[in-house]
Amino acid sequence: MKAVVDKKVLRSWAKIVGRQHVLTQPADVRLYSYDSSTARGRPEAVVFPATTEEVSRVVKLCAERGIPFVPRGAGTNLSGGSVPLQGGVVIGLSRMNQVLGIDVSNRQAVVQPGVVNLDLQKMLEPHHLQFCPDPASQKASTIGGNVAENAGGPHCLKYGVTTNHVLALTVVLPNGEVRKLGSAVADPPGYDLVGLFVGSEGTFGIATEMILRLKPLPESVQVILALFESLEAAGEAVSRIIAAGIVASALEIMDRSTIEAVEASFPSGLPLDVEALLVIELDGLEGALDKDTQRCADICRELKARSLEIGKTPADRERLWAARKSAFGATARLSPAMLVNDATVPRTRIPEALRQIQEIEQRHRVRIAKVFHAGDGNLHSNILYERTDPDGLRRAEAACAEIFRAAAGVGGTITGEHGVGAEKPRYLQLIYSQADIAAQGKLREVFDPQGLANPGKVLPPEGAGR
Amino acid sequence: MSALSAVLERVLGIVGEGHLLTDTAAVGEHAVDGQTPLAVAFPGTAEEVAALLRAAGEAKLSVLLRGAGHHLYLGAPAGPIGLVVCLTRLDQVVEYDAGDLTITAQAGMPLSALQQLVGKRGQMLPLDPPGPESATLGGMLAANLSGPMRMRYGAPRDLLLGTRVALTTGELIKTGGRTVKNVAGYDLTKLLIGSLGTVGAMVELTLRLVPAPEQRAVMLAALPAERAMKVASGVASSAWEMSACAVVNQAGTIRLRPYLPAVERRDAYAVCAGLSGSPEAVARQEREVISLVGGGAARLDGVDADRVWQRVRGLAYPTGAEAVLLRVGVLPSAVGDTLRLLSYQPGWSAVAQVGDGIVYAAPMQETDIMSVKKAVAAIRRAGEEAGGFAVLESAPVSLKREVGVWGEGIRNADLMRKLKSAYDPAGVLGCGRLV
Repeated sequence: MKAVVDKKVLRSWAKIVGRQHVLTQPADVRLYSYDSSTARGRPEAVVFPATTEEVSRVVKLCAERGIPFVPRGAGTNLSGGSVPLQGGVVIGLSRMNQVLGIDVSNRQAVVQPGVVNLDLQKMLEPHHLQFCPDPASQKASTIGGNVAENAGGPHCLKYGVTTNHVLALTVVLPNGEVRKLGSAVADPPGYDLVGLFVGSEGTFGIATEMILRLKPLPESVQVILALFESLEAAGEAVSRIIAAGIVASALEIMDRSTIEAVEASFPSGLPLDVEALLVIELDGLEGALDKDTQRCADICRELKARSLEIGKTPADRERLWAARKSAFGATARLSPAMLVNDATVPRTRIPEALRQIQEIEQRHRVRIAKVFHAGDGNLHSNILYERTDPDGLRRAEAACAEIFRAAAGVGGTITGEHGVGAEKPRYLQLIYSQADIAAQGKLREVFDPQGLANPGKVLPPEGAGR
Repeated sequence: MSALSAVLERVLGIVGEGHLLTDTAAVGEHAVDGQTPLAVAFPGTAEEVAALLRAAGEAKLSVLLRGAGHHLYLGAPAGPIGLVVCLTRLDQVVEYDAGDLTITAQAGMPLSALQQLVGKRGQMLPLDPPGPESATLGGMLAANLSGPMRMRYGAPRDLLLGTRVALTTGELIKTGGRTVKNVAGYDLTKLLIGSLGTVGAMVELTLRLVPAPEQRAVMLAALPAERAMKVASGVASSAWEMSACAVVNQAGTIRLRPYLPAVERRDAYAVCAGLSGSPEAVARQEREVISLVGGGAARLDGVDADRVWQRVRGLAYPTGAEAVLLRVGVLPSAVGDTLRLLSYQPGWSAVAQVGDGIVYAAPMQETDIMSVKKAVAAIRRAGEEAGGFAVLESAPVSLKREVGVWGEGIRNADLMRKLKSAYDPAGVLGCGRLV
């Protein structure tokens, strides 16, 4: 039975957060019915609490009334994680956008969930510190969303994903209780509850404050941009760099379709007849990078890179990164309708996965713009389709499912950094048995026995134990 | 046949003759915290482990999981032990392709064997736990062990990508995967790390590897406390990509004597700073350390450097069966104060992983229990006042009972109990050592 958001509960929420911070008008709430995925779901109300206590009181009412709730940051999610599939209330965290403290000597920051990733980076820069996760959405996406999704980014290759950089969380559990998980101090006794919570996609509750681990900014950075006549050659370059024991800070590949899209939107003079572009970034000690940069450049030359450019100054580096960084936006301009596939494979299986993806592209007559975090095997296939073509979406979805299967077949996973969300629960069985999924469901039972926190996400219904 | 002999019969049926100990003398050697198990089983396959756990769950027979047994001192005193399940026969590599920079191995594989194997391909598992390297992978991860290298490479939670786990339902489940990036489903792997065998038995682990550095060395310096801390903090907060850093207090420097440049002053601490990387990087790191120290630092390379770290790690490992060892966790900025307060406990060695805010403290000689108790209370107070905690990792059972293992207690213990009983409804795993 679906609970109703009635006048009484709206009045209570208004009392908690202030009337101006509750939205109920259809035109207003519609803005919260989607994210960057294809999932859709209309909330009955959107509330914007300003403190942990307010979040707790809003959620407590949900628990008492059986109202589903979905936390939301900037809504940049690519798997439908922030879409209210079962109605209920969206809890927007944009008012909780303060950096509460930067502790330089302990290399920690205390932040609220609504802080935008890039804004935090800018505040850290004068201290020569960084928060390592750098998702492509970092100009808009919030730390709360990064934590909920266990976000990645190009530099995870060297520095790890979000979960590796979160020390402690203040969370509101789905029953409204406030808990402090983890500790600013290493290895508190007991189970790693922070590790369980990060990446739970809003289904275990809402993180309202987080203590983040910071890292010193590298002293020196060098970037190589190499263009190749085939996608395989670029993939092979990545394998050889890894095999040589070089720890790059980013290894990114774009294919011809993506290059075309970028040139159409943000022309930078890239040739349109190359098949792949590889960005290699190395960071580390001043004076200790040149040798590795040379080795990477040599590997690219051995593989007949058509052109090769090395950037050592901030301006040059930015220029060499520009095409890669605008890839997602540019692709969306090429075709606003696209499915974003986030399959990830073991590094040695990248060439095989590439072959299979190209074959799937042809067989299903779809266009796939490929943007790969190749260094860690995270292969983003952006599957483009025409909204006006009724068969287009069907073919795109079929291709997407086949790429998942191909990745699973070589020992990979269906999502490396975007999350399962609303779109992928049915594909979990490609990599997990029923028993594996049921074991994950037990975790959810403990955190959210009522099943009100972001329902319909992560696990398939049968695996959720209800 | 009694219920007990029926279950032991079933256990024997699972592991087969030759893989079950039941006679008094043999099981006596496997006693933990004075608790002698009824039997010790040595399963040979993951399926056997799962079958054992299921049998134990059904018969409500408590189970203590172990590997090489080097870290059984950890945790609250064990309650009665029905069955010890020893995983050392599961010591095979499941999958290793060097190009993946990951390895999947069985839980009973010793760390030393893994390092040897991946070392041949120029790689390493960046974990340097206290105690012998014959510790098993499963034990190391179940105990959440790490060492000074953590500063550079992270904690066990940053290195374990996935597992295969046997549950008391008899199921063998997979958590996580084999890729370095994976957000498919919940991160159940994290529940196993540091769980001290209370949730399930990890039978297979997939771990991240890193390229072994071209060069490795250690810089050693003896300095007055304050300057030692300054050097260590300088290293820990730098972007020099050094591999490790530890500070050893005056009492602990005895262990480093053969390697340490003249330690004469009574208040001298030792700083150990790990250099690693390309020759260019190592040369630069060395220069930086020398300038921080202000001269008088010794450089040791290769095997000698390894020996120094072995000794440093030895200070984080109990010297005997019931030796006292405390692990204090504080913010990195409070490590100096913690070491200073420790200096009021004469004869206590201390080693600090400065960048991570972890301090191990232990009495160097056997002392009477009263003074140990007083010292534990004082160290704990200091740790807690600095916003942290002090876990009594190793001690005589009576002392553990009297002063408690976890200090102020485990926060969110209620949630943890719920989690445990979700996976171990019969409550047979771990013998009360954590929750």
